Amino acid sequence: MDQSVAIQETLVEGEYCVIAVQGVLCKGDSRQSRLLGLVRYRLENDVQEHALFLYTHRRMAITGDDVALDQIVPLSKDFMLEEVSPDGELYILGSDVTVQLTTAELRLVFQLPFGSHTRTFLQEVARACPGFDPETRDPEFLWLCRHRCAESEAESPKPREWNSDPGTRSGFAPIGGGRYQSWNARRGLEDVLPRGPGYILLWGGATKEPEFLLAEEVHEGGPVRGPRARGGRRDEALEEADWEMSAGGGSRERDCAGGYNVDSSRPNGRGLLPLDQSSGARCPDKPENSLTRQNRSKAEITDMVRSSTITVSDKAHILSMQKFGLRDTMVRSHLLQKEGEYTYIQNFRFFVGTYNVNGQSPKECLRPWLSSDTKAPDVYCVGFQELDLSKEAFFFHDTPKEEEWFKAVSESLHPDAKYAKVKLIRLVGIMLLLYVKQEHAAYISEVEAETVGTGIMGRMGNKGGVAIRFQLHNTSICVVNSHLAAHTEEYERRNQDYRDICSRMQFSQVDPSLPPLTISKHDVILWLGDLNYRIEELDVEKVKKLVEEKAFHTLYAHDQLKIQVAAKTVFEGFTEGEITFQPTYKYDTGSDNWDTSEKCRAPAWCDRVLWRGKNISQLSYQSHMSLKTSDHKPVSSVFEIGVRVVNEELYRKTLEEIVRSLDKMENANIPSVTLSKREFCFENVKYMQLQTATFTIHNGQVPCEFEFINKPDEETYCKQWLTAKPSRGFLLPDSHVEIELELFVNKATATKLNSGKDTIEDILVLHLHRGKDYFLSVTGNYLPSCFGSPIHTLCYMREPILDLPLKIVNELTLMTVQTADDRSQLEKPMEIPKELWMMVDYLYRNAVQQEDLFQQPGLRPEFEHIRDCLDTGMIDHLCANNHSVAEALLLFLESLPEPVICYSAYHSCLECSGSHTASKQVISTLPTFHKNVFSYLMAFLQELLKNSAKNHLDENILASIFGSLLLRSPAGHRKLDMAEKKKAQEFIHHFLCNPL
Amino acid sequence: MATTPYNYSYIFKYIIIGDMGVGKSCLLHQFTEKKFMADCPHTIGVEFGTRIIEVSGQKIKLQIWDTAGQERFRAVTRSYYRGAAGALMVYDITRRSTYNHLSSWLTDARNLTNPNTVIILIGNKADLEAQRDVTYEEAKQFAEENGLLFLEASAKTGENVEDAFLEAAKKIYQNIQDGSLDLNAAESGVQHKPSAPQGGRLTSEPQPQREGCGC
Repeated sequence: MDQSVAIQETLVEGEYCVIAVQGVLCKGDSRQSRLLGLVRYRLENDVQEHALFLYTHRRMAITGDDVALDQIVPLSKDFMLEEVSPDGELYILGSDVTVQLTTAELRLVFQLPFGSHTRTFLQEVARACPGFDPETRDPEFLWLCRHRCAESEAESPKPREWNSDPGTRSGFAPIGGGRYQSWNARRGLEDVLPRGPGYILLWGGATKEPEFLLAEEVHEGGPVRGPRARGGRRDEALEEADWEMSAGGGSRERDCAGGYNVDSSRPNGRGLLPLDQSSGARCPDKPENSLTRQNRSKAEITDMVRSSTITVSDKAHILSMQKFGLRDTMVRSHLLQKEGEYTYIQNFRFFVGTYNVNGQSPKECLRPWLSSDTKAPDVYCVGFQELDLSKEAFFFHDTPKEEEWFKAVSESLHPDAKYAKVKLIRLVGIMLLLYVKQEHAAYISEVEAETVGTGIMGRMGNKGGVAIRFQLHNTSICVVNSHLAAHTEEYERRNQDYRDICSRMQFSQVDPSLPPLTISKHDVILWLGDLNYRIEELDVEKVKKLVEEKAFHTLYAHDQLKIQVAAKTVFEGFTEGEITFQPTYKYDTGSDNWDTSEKCRAPAWCDRVLWRGKNISQLSYQSHMSLKTSDHKPVSSVFEIGVRVVNEELYRKTLEEIVRSLDKMENANIPSVTLSKREFCFENVKYMQLQTATFTIHNGQVPCEFEFINKPDEETYCKQWLTAKPSRGFLLPDSHVEIELELFVNKATATKLNSGKDTIEDILVLHLHRGKDYFLSVTGNYLPSCFGSPIHTLCYMREPILDLPLKIVNELTLMTVQTADDRSQLEKPMEIPKELWMMVDYLYRNAVQQEDLFQQPGLRPEFEHIRDCLDTGMIDHLCANNHSVAEALLLFLESLPEPVICYSAYHSCLECSGSHTASKQVISTLPTFHKNVFSYLMAFLQELLKNSAKNHLDENILASIFGSLLLRSPAGHRKLDMAEKKKAQEFIHHFLCNPL
Repeated sequence: MATTPYNYSYIFKYIIIGDMGVGKSCLLHQFTEKKFMADCPHTIGVEFGTRIIEVSGQKIKLQIWDTAGQERFRAVTRSYYRGAAGALMVYDITRRSTYNHLSSWLTDARNLTNPNTVIILIGNKADLEAQRDVTYEEAKQFAEENGLLFLEASAKTGENVEDAFLEAAKKIYQNIQDGSLDLNAAESGVQHKPSAPQGGRLTSEPQPQREGCGC
């Protein structure tokens, strides 16, 4: 029953009861029950504070009404909760855990019930303890104020010290560190044994004072795993231990508070990247995970994994989902598949005994039963039924017999070996004990025990079963002791009890995300107990006679268990050895005589041992007549069981191979493509003449996302004159895509290319998402053009631009207007660019009467022809449509890096657009060549206007066309201000209608 | 609860630099695949490979970037230096020119990586003793003068290849241990992966970092 629910009801918003445990508060001789709840409060910024809420309660707390707040202990920095052992007392295995709570003000001692829930609770508390990192602020616990009143009402007026208990001793490794200690123990097996006072030994010989090995401490201490448990969990735990060892730095206090807080205890103690803190928010798909796994047991998954073969493409997909933890899962599944390569079968001797003791206390030595074998068994599984028939045992679940029989067994184990108790589990009178030879203790892991009652109401513990499951080396083993329904005619009831035990017996797993394990999910199952099946259809005397004749085979035919197993109604898949001993029930107590009581029960083989699994052979199966304490005789069976043992060296090798193969696979699954071409040469690139090149990206086996990415300090993935289409995309395996590279030089890029400041050279980086990068190199040469060249540069080019050496073109392009005006140093320039003259002259000669001149588009191929004629000076070859030439002229003006009316004069022009005189004044300030070009163009336009009857041009049309070409805003094209545009037209308008 | 046993705690980014044809890609291939690539094409671009190694019991994932050696790509490959924890600077012991260019590679490596980046000098093609053009001693001296680790290796025979990658990793790990490498610094080239709680917390696998490439 999770009592945190009851506590939660008493809390206010923002507070959350993480876990609760019911314990006993010890003060002096007084014992009071308390409910301990670990309460978390979340402040802003994801800061959390914790406090321990102590409640008094009535009955088992189910609702908030059942509990009353007694005390609150904030988990401040001085808070410590550590496990102690009661001084001077023999540590009783499976007994309560004594913990001491200390803060600066108080000391409380609690006894908490033994078991995994308490472990979890202690772990949670340890985890919640604030670290000693000086950088984290002290918790303030302001939120606790609202509880203080309630608390003080309930609190007893006694001073806080009342609780200090001189009978306990502290100073053992605190909870956090304790785990490390047990781990240390696990690693060096020999070191385990007589350590700190918490560890007590049990010697099989029992010659002196009995001592006990606290096997539970080792096996159940927190999240501790077995050695090389499936998938080699030991490594994991060792790593964990390493962490803590290096983290602790010998400081216990630190261990206590921060032992579980891995963040604050990184090896160098500097708190590296404390990502854990935000982890809670970052596992969106965990529920999904646990959902899919919920319906499958680990063993089932194990079986599936063992038999599965993952195809490469599956793996590729799995690996390509780069999620944390997947790699682990893959390694685990590979390890399972290859288990045979690194494990070998080693035989272990198991003693399995069952004894219905009829409520008696041990009166005689159990050696004849437990130690009759010459060889000392490796494992003891000893089961009792009817341990205590008293009402007290039934109702309060408490009996002194447990301890009595436990001692009796412990003292009678085989004298040739030392044993460690692994586990004791009891349900009313059904008790099961598990011991292993001391040297095997380190290889026992994942020990869990559970009970199922099938008695009164089908639930009570007068009948039912108890079971212990564990892992020995790499083999999982489940031992069940059951006491099934009585009476000859009730065999159906017994069958049902068996089925109930099978279905209701569930062991929780170390990994809480895994579903509980059932009995059937174990490699080896040993089932013992008073199964209560009788000999039917024969009268008592007949049975006794047959027994006397040792005619067991005749009796078998009437044995209900044999009949039921044969009918497959019970114990399916189980085997029982041949029974060569007389029925073990029912005798007169203290004798070997058959029952002489009124009921005069017929003899029956009630007490049996069955098994299921591979590599099991039964060495003996017998009863022990010399024991006379009960009306039953004890039964024993010795087995040789083949257990999978890990060869450390082979395991390491296998693990390395797997890791390496995963590495390889990961590398193989880096996306990879082939490119049909990686070098692109664009020759003789001309102004505004598109050149294209194509190549194909062929994808390999991994889906990939590709993209051309920017190089450092560049804003685009390639130069302005280049584009890749498409520049990004996604490719399925084995598919391909064609990429087109387009090279186009326009007015924005031409000038730089003319000047040599830029060249047709670029490297494109084709990046594959999660993969490699490919470099594509683009080379070529640009043929300079008058388009994009400055006016003054062209004026100095007396030769066609393409006839000039490139160096001269570069130099002239870089020349400033100011230098150009200072004619002294240079060859005599022309008044205006010859290319401009060629176009204007052509139009003057052919197109003054052309209708809609400048208003109809030219022909694209003709533009290329015009450009070539201009750049090569082959003016005589110029033969083109008037509209084409007109458009070329406009393009020429548009391509000028500095407009005819210089950028610097732009604003003054707009300002004086209202006055012709002022406008003329501005023009006069232009650099000479610009002034020349302006006047030349205006003269030409005026000439056109003279023919307006034919060409339909007027001042307004021309002003609007040329206004925006001759007067260009230094701000660029981005904002086309209508007012500015209008003023520019007005400005030009003056020069069209007034004489120059 | 527990650390996961097979996963790595750190990711180290490495770059391999050096002249064209010194065997950078072959070293990477030998390291990740344990095979020699006989006719390895020139790397035109950047390739990368990963492998998990163990240093002082810590599992470390090496993420290795193998860059194009051609001079014309130099400007572009420089952008891959950033955030490298280790740099393998390779020359060919049979071609002195590749050795002579080391200072220029070293300048790049020093300028473009953080001060704690571990640089290891590798004289590759050590199997071609007969054609040796650079002596072990002079290279060793060059390495010492510049504070570099140094090994002669052969991507063909595999000799010292494993060591070259491991030595650098050990040095980086040592720098982490003694605190001289600040993992919180943006460009330490080391990512620390905290162990996930049982049941699996998800963190996305860190992508190869491409700062400066704008992707």
